Amino acid sequence: MNGSNQGKPWRILIASSHPLFAKGLRSLLEERREMDAVVVGLVATIDEALTALESLQPDLVIVDYDDERVNRDEFLARFVEGEGRLRVVLLSLKEGGSEAIVYDRRTMAASQIDEWLEMWNENQAPFIPPGISPGKGTPQIPKPRRRDSMKHFIAAALVVIVLMAAGLYGYQQINLLPEQASLQGASIDNLFGIHFIAIIVLFSLIVGLMVYSILVFRRKAGDTSDGPHMEGNTKLEVAWTIVPLGAVLVLAYMGGTTLGDIQALPDQKPLQVKVVGSQWAWRFEYPELGIISTELVLPVDEQALLELSSTDVIHSFWVPEFRVKQDALPGEDFVRELRVTPTQIGEYKVRCAELCGRLHHAMESPVKVIAQQDFEAWVKSKTVACTGPVECGNLWYQQFGCQACHSIDGSVVVGPSWKGIFGKEESISDGTSVLVDHDYIVESIRNPGAKITAGFQNLMPANIAANMTDAQIEDLIAFIESLK
Amino acid sequence: MNLFKLSLVRGLIAQFLGTFAGVLLTIIIRVLVGLPAWKSEPVFVGGALVGVVAFMFGTGVLNDWIKWTKGEETPEPPHDSDGLKGLAKYLHVSYDHKVIGIQYGITSVMVLLVAGLFALIFRTELAQTGLQFLTEDGFNTMISLHGIVNIGGILMGVGAMSNFLVPLMIGANDMAFPRLNAFAFWINLPGIVLLMSTLLIGGVDAGWTAYPPLSSNLVKVGFAMFFLGVYVIGLSSILGAINVLVTTLRMRAPGMTLFRMPIFVWSAFATAIIALTATQLIGLSFQLVLFQRLFGMDFFNPLEGGNVLLFQHLFWFYSHPAVYVFVLTGLGVISELLPVFARKPLYGYRWVAMSSLAIALVGFFVWAHHMFTSGMASYLRVPFMYSTLLVAVPTGVKFFSWIATIWRGKLTFPTPMLFVLGAISIFLLGGLSGPPNATVATDLHLHDTYFIVGHFHATMFGGYIFPFFAAIYYWFPKMTGRMYNERLGKVHFWFMLLGFYVQSIMQMEVGLLGMRRRIADYDPALGITFQQLLITIAGFVIATGVLVFLVNMIISVRRGAVAVANPWRSRSPEWQIPSPAPAHNYDTPLEVVGEPYDYGLPGSVYTRESSPPAPPVSAPAAAD
Repeated sequence: MNGSNQGKPWRILIASSHPLFAKGLRSLLEERREMDAVVVGLVATIDEALTALESLQPDLVIVDYDDERVNRDEFLARFVEGEGRLRVVLLSLKEGGSEAIVYDRRTMAASQIDEWLEMWNENQAPFIPPGISPGKGTPQIPKPRRRDSMKHFIAAALVVIVLMAAGLYGYQQINLLPEQASLQGASIDNLFGIHFIAIIVLFSLIVGLMVYSILVFRRKAGDTSDGPHMEGNTKLEVAWTIVPLGAVLVLAYMGGTTLGDIQALPDQKPLQVKVVGSQWAWRFEYPELGIISTELVLPVDEQALLELSSTDVIHSFWVPEFRVKQDALPGEDFVRELRVTPTQIGEYKVRCAELCGRLHHAMESPVKVIAQQDFEAWVKSKTVACTGPVECGNLWYQQFGCQACHSIDGSVVVGPSWKGIFGKEESISDGTSVLVDHDYIVESIRNPGAKITAGFQNLMPANIAANMTDAQIEDLIAFIESLK
Repeated sequence: MNLFKLSLVRGLIAQFLGTFAGVLLTIIIRVLVGLPAWKSEPVFVGGALVGVVAFMFGTGVLNDWIKWTKGEETPEPPHDSDGLKGLAKYLHVSYDHKVIGIQYGITSVMVLLVAGLFALIFRTELAQTGLQFLTEDGFNTMISLHGIVNIGGILMGVGAMSNFLVPLMIGANDMAFPRLNAFAFWINLPGIVLLMSTLLIGGVDAGWTAYPPLSSNLVKVGFAMFFLGVYVIGLSSILGAINVLVTTLRMRAPGMTLFRMPIFVWSAFATAIIALTATQLIGLSFQLVLFQRLFGMDFFNPLEGGNVLLFQHLFWFYSHPAVYVFVLTGLGVISELLPVFARKPLYGYRWVAMSSLAIALVGFFVWAHHMFTSGMASYLRVPFMYSTLLVAVPTGVKFFSWIATIWRGKLTFPTPMLFVLGAISIFLLGGLSGPPNATVATDLHLHDTYFIVGHFHATMFGGYIFPFFAAIYYWFPKMTGRMYNERLGKVHFWFMLLGFYVQSIMQMEVGLLGMRRRIADYDPALGITFQQLLITIAGFVIATGVLVFLVNMIISVRRGAVAVANPWRSRSPEWQIPSPAPAHNYDTPLEVVGEPYDYGLPGSVYTRESSPPAPPVSAPAAAD
């Protein structure tokens, strides 16, 4: 062995649980008299080794680093912590033969500690210091291996940060959402913003690490060996379970408070609007104002309490600029509420957002948000009475949704056109024929399925006239009669 | 060879004849009971039911069980499929799990192609505003069938992977119940026939979710066929799950503790738990609508005391866990392949295994997030929001584990690895678009828009479709004994990846801006017409990739380079036997002596042939 021991023999401790290794090595050392070494102990377990380090004060410990029963971390920790001169030689009997590494406690650098651990964990053939060949020569302290792990983390982090920055910058430049036109929308858009940023950050994190790995950790041509044996790390697993758990709980909590915000009751009484969906038109009734309309007109900055229902299948009320949506269900026990406080004057559209049959794609109505005084003027104009049965009939034709399915110009929309049908002889789906007179029209409105015109389907909602008075039906008949 | 000897042909003929017989039978019963002889829907339902039963008898898959009811013995069936070779082998009943797995796989691909074709059709219509060539009802039928046929196809693909791989991976020679396994495959086919028959009788245009009252009011008989078809395909799912669970629990090779199984088996196991317990609910919900249509039982008729929300709860109680059936299998493929192509252990194997079970469990508690705008009790939406967001935690464990697996690895990039890496990024995109949907307040804007469409297509493609292709390429040599064409594989990958990214991002964008789902036409004033064109083009780019894949499969099956036993140098058991896998899998039984993913640990061994070889095992006389 190189280096003097000030004339004293080298005191050597051998740590291995393989008796053949330990005793064989001892015989070898003892044979080589010129080395002036004396084996002061053979230990098989870590506890014995640590005890022996104290009690025997060896100058050199030779460790069998294949031995998985030796607790490497602890041994290393003790080795590094202790005072006094001590060197360790790590030997392996596995492939590659008898390469050895020497560490000297006094001169050991932090980087060497990492290397040692890494190497133990990875179980690769140890770095062969220059000038060493197996079985002869004097071991020198090897150059520290490049400490790759920290370098990779930093470089990958840079990739991630660049991606995040690019993503966040791009996000600032575009508008992902339509204009915001309601108070509820303000809370919701706030939450959207948090979500979008979280998406950009997390996407950059994972994709950044992936891209870095794909570019950097490639197998070199001809290398058939495996990668490092990294099985896992419980602390890391716990961390990346607990942290996301905390994050989703926070997000859920924020979602809950936002939901509370958007359902908040207003300071003053809201404007009540009954919204009725039918295949395939909307009707808006203002019961307190006595108005039925085919457009939803709302005063700005006042909460509207929409009471949604359907006369047939499930529809859904949605104005994208308002951000809130609610299904309109059939059945008188199933009226559902939606509160909207429009904050921006303008014209929007409500479009049905639940598949409701053939014309679902076209089931839309105008939504107009206007100033308070304009709204009052509108109310006045709608409650002007119509004069005469034909004019009133025309009004009911629009307000009760007949317009959605029956044209007055001869074209077929969904049901027969009203142009010229009064007084006609029509064939019915069961093969008979009927005269389109006053009584037939009353029956067709009150009991739509009774006699369906041949060639048409039974699509008229059974209760479409639930809110129509007999007088209104008389007006409608007068109107139909007038359509020659 | 004689076409009429093939199970498939006999089954289809039997179904055809059985349908007529069922129609006659229903008419006779109606007359006897005093009803008018003909009413299209009940009569067709009667026909369809008898047709399905007749199909199963016609294939011959019931023959052994029929023998047992008569007290006869059945010898172990030969593994040579009556001497059939090539494609014909797969058109005939076999009890070999590998043949059944490939049958599932081929059927799945064909079914997915049909569903994809429907998509190309309606996407062409949507590329511009206005209605160009589809009627509204036609459009609504195309989107509805696109959904349900894809779901059936994906369930079959899950069956393909579980069936082919689970016995091989645990060192078993077949599934626990081979005859049940064959039954579970074959019953899919009459189900598909029923679904496709809807096209001939007016279509089904209420969406694949078929909510009543729309689906109970519409007169089209197609709805009955739709409900029955799904019922029957669901049955396959349940029966297949039984096999996977019992096989995994009882037939592992000696030394293979649960935490020494290949990770794919864990995901197949978690998937099977869901399939076994949840599928019944979609059958129930559809059955109730069918009974409302046929017998006037007003479950969902509000005028008679019914409640439309009941349907949605029953339906989604299955249909949400169903997506984890689709996705857990795919994620299992990702976890299985990464260690092989990174030459490193699967990081945190136990945590990954447990995460599959956690996702399966939590997945049962989230269903009402599909119903946030439905009119369900407002406060009740909040716990579902919490549970839905919670699913992100075990899913995140998987993502972090995948990154840690490839970190510091020695990566190579053959086609299966490309698909796995692509899957991770796309599933990430889909998964990250989840929280805005999970949060009730933001979902009010997003529900029933193309944002949702973008979300689930990304999770489906990333969690199932890409891993499914990865699995086909990866296990191609084990199935066929040949290698696929690597260059075509890469072309397929790049077309699909780029096409899919464009499609997803555009879908999410137009959804945010106001594009609803299930609409045959959209308002040009929305300003999204150009994005719609891009989505359509992206769809065709994806289709081109799939075409390249089909060409690759067809030429490689016949003329691909002959494969070695273990081209990927994998430690997994199925790669320690020849390619293609021999008929009886492990002639010498396997035993497990180490961990599955100890890449990089010198001298570590996972499995070895047990010695001395056990005497040949005789067939279990009666097991299923």
